[in-house]
Amino acid sequence: MKRNTLARLAILTVLVSGAGWVPAASAAPKAAKAKPKAALDAAALRAELESGDEARMLAALERVAEAGEAAKALTPDVEALLRRGASAKVIRAALTAAGALRQESSSAAVAPYLRHRDEGLRRGAARALVKTGGTAAVKALRAALRSPDAGVRGVAASGLGALGAREALPDLFTALDRRVDEAATSIGQLCEPEECEKFAARLGKLPFEVMTSGFDQILFRAPEKMSDDAKLRIVDRLRELGTAEAGKFLADVAGRWPASWSKRVKQAIDAAVKATGGGAEADD
Amino acid sequence: MRRLVIGGAALLGLTACGSGMQGGLGSAFSPTWQNDGGKSIGALAQRIAKAQLPVGRGLAVGVTTSGLVVIGLDGSAKWSRAGAVDARPAIAGDVVVATGGGRVFALDARTGKPFWSLSSEGRSLRGAGDDGRVTAVTLGGRGGGDSVVIAVDRSGRELLHLEAKPELGAPAVLADTVLVPWSGQYVSAVRLGSRDETARLLLRDKVTRVMQIGPHLYFGGMSLTRFDDRIDQAGANRATQAVLPTRPLPGEPRLIDDGTRVAPPVANARDSIHLYARPAADGAHFAGDRYAATYYRIAMGLAVDSGALGWVRTLPAPVLGGDAAEGGFALCDATGRVWLIGAEQGTDAGSVSLGEPVQSCVVSAGSFTVAGGKSLGSLAEQVEHAVELDDAQMVTAQGFLLERLGSLSDPVVTKVLIDLASSTRTPPALAEAARKLLAGRRSGAEYMLEALGREYDFLSDVLRPPPVAPLADALAAMDRKDAAPLLARHLNDPADSPEDIEHAARALVKLASPAELEEIRSFFSLYRATAERPPLVAAVIAAAETLLRIGGAEGEKLVRSAAADPLTRPDVRVGLDGVLPPAKTTAAESTAD
Repeated sequence: MKRNTLARLAILTVLVSGAGWVPAASAAPKAAKAKPKAALDAAALRAELESGDEARMLAALERVAEAGEAAKALTPDVEALLRRGASAKVIRAALTAAGALRQESSSAAVAPYLRHRDEGLRRGAARALVKTGGTAAVKALRAALRSPDAGVRGVAASGLGALGAREALPDLFTALDRRVDEAATSIGQLCEPEECEKFAARLGKLPFEVMTSGFDQILFRAPEKMSDDAKLRIVDRLRELGTAEAGKFLADVAGRWPASWSKRVKQAIDAAVKATGGGAEADD
Repeated sequence: MRRLVIGGAALLGLTACGSGMQGGLGSAFSPTWQNDGGKSIGALAQRIAKAQLPVGRGLAVGVTTSGLVVIGLDGSAKWSRAGAVDARPAIAGDVVVATGGGRVFALDARTGKPFWSLSSEGRSLRGAGDDGRVTAVTLGGRGGGDSVVIAVDRSGRELLHLEAKPELGAPAVLADTVLVPWSGQYVSAVRLGSRDETARLLLRDKVTRVMQIGPHLYFGGMSLTRFDDRIDQAGANRATQAVLPTRPLPGEPRLIDDGTRVAPPVANARDSIHLYARPAADGAHFAGDRYAATYYRIAMGLAVDSGALGWVRTLPAPVLGGDAAEGGFALCDATGRVWLIGAEQGTDAGSVSLGEPVQSCVVSAGSFTVAGGKSLGSLAEQVEHAVELDDAQMVTAQGFLLERLGSLSDPVVTKVLIDLASSTRTPPALAEAARKLLAGRRSGAEYMLEALGREYDFLSDVLRPPPVAPLADALAAMDRKDAAPLLARHLNDPADSPEDIEHAARALVKLASPAELEEIRSFFSLYRATAERPPLVAAVIAAAETLLRIGGAEGEKLVRSAAADPLTRPDVRVGLDGVLPPAKTTAAESTAD
């Protein structure tokens, strides 16, 4: 179970890195990935993007993606390219570049690709929107929860949590009930105590590992964002569940619990671990 | 050979084998008979056609694994008889005749009480008639041949016993005369106690049964020819005759079963695919201009004259037998329920039950009248119900019904077709047929617009997009410009098929206004270089045409840029060159020229 949860968190990290909270267990030192960047020649890259030559355009877009926000000046050019359209290869690269640029203005140009017939473009657009953010991105990702593409629905569900789109909570609950499991994490990120309870009430109805992806988010919300009482209610539910997998999950939570956080919650978690036998050596 | 009694005289081993017997027209079933132009049958009709025949009260007889179950169509007098039968029973007036266990026997239809039972001599029942006193029965071998007609009174006295080489059909008896069809074209009249024919009828149509319908006798094969004072003109096709026009119907059902064959005790497809019609009082038309056609679980009411579909009933189990009654039809299904259906509107006039599933079923409407009943919705709704049946066996009839539905101009038909084309329950072949019919609709635009407003929506459980292509075709043909915003939105819906998108784009060439510019421009830009299938390529080119029409200078610029962009797909570029107007030459270029 632990492995499963961690895998989900790792996926979430990929989706939301730089766009929100990253679970402590999966946080990796970003600096290790940084590469030295050559100075950008915006004018030259702009000319390449308008060349009409697929290879040159792809190379330019790769440069922009590598440069990330440092290539911000080229944002209008990437957006213009997305608007006028190009081959699937070029658009895929442009979406990656738009995501790397992280400019809210790009969301409007990226959003139409969420409804493209090419699966790769749809999913690339969804990933880009999670990074570009803003009202247009949230609107598009909410609509994408209704998509025929399960992959798009999943990225959209994750992305809405990462973007802090509380207004999407009703849709996320509907999506979760229709087994868009990624919605659980987002609900955990976005819910207020009453909504968190509504989520917790699904314990036993949805697979446990889906529920824990949301519980994990709730329990690890900063103390100023989620009360101890709300967290204790989650712990109580899990203790009442009394299953071995609940115990293992709580033991995992106890192991990651920040030392400076609520002692009362920690004691409750420890007691629940004991009550559920979760402290025993995991058999997985 | 058993003891035979003919006309009260005790004879031993008396048989007629098609020749060698003299008297009247000579021996029964003689192949040497000379056509008398209807003279003898005309004389017989003058003498006996107006004799009173008792009309049965309306009865259904089911064959079960253990015997017979019987019920009156009015729900009265339910009885059963244990003992297997080897052929389909016959209802003759108020008598039920059957063979089984080496016996041929007659039972009182009202009570099940046996009238008589004789050795069947290894033969099985083909048909029977009864005049209230005497029962005439034709028997034969199960594989054909070995024909015999007997006539037996209520006490079990055998008044006639004629064996014949030709195949004998289902007989009737009236005023001491047995009428026996044979060889598919003759009806011989033989008086009880005799072995000679007193009259013979030659029919131009095939004849294998003499049937009592109401108070009259009819000679049936392909059509129904009444035994009345015009029967002598049958050779000139001037007898009183009711003919059902031949029409293509699912499974090619027939009106009259072949009376020269033994119908097996277990029903087959031919029993479930059948026509039912009742001659009108004049004998030359069918009552209410209506007949019913069954195809397993579906029953259809059709107009005799026009063939127009009047109603459709969907039953819970295949129909195994039935009859046309006054005012309607009585259809017996495999569950043993007999459904009473109003002839005009297909109303539900109730049902009676034989009480258990049956292997086959015989119904004689007799004097029973189907009256009243509750409506089962509009014809369109009835067809929809039938077409939604998830039963592969029904597809032929469902396709037929869909076609008929499409010919109705009622706007509700459009809604039904949309529902059928959109429903996941509709078999794929029928959904495709519904789409074709939709494309040709010119009414019900409001339903089309409503349907186009729907899109695939995972959260709302709308998991199948509307049939965009046929709706686009129909709305374009109707010049419904209010469809344009909806069609434009579908251009960018990945749940729609490429074919749907192509048709939407083509419709927009005619219907779009500048209000749809953004959606069309977006589609054009997103797909000019990524359209991988021919329908999408066609859609992009159609979108370009629309942009040129409604997009002004900006629209033209966009299309020209795309046509010049090496990343635009080659097939799209060719198409764009075809729709772009010639480039305007600049003033400088003109001067240079």
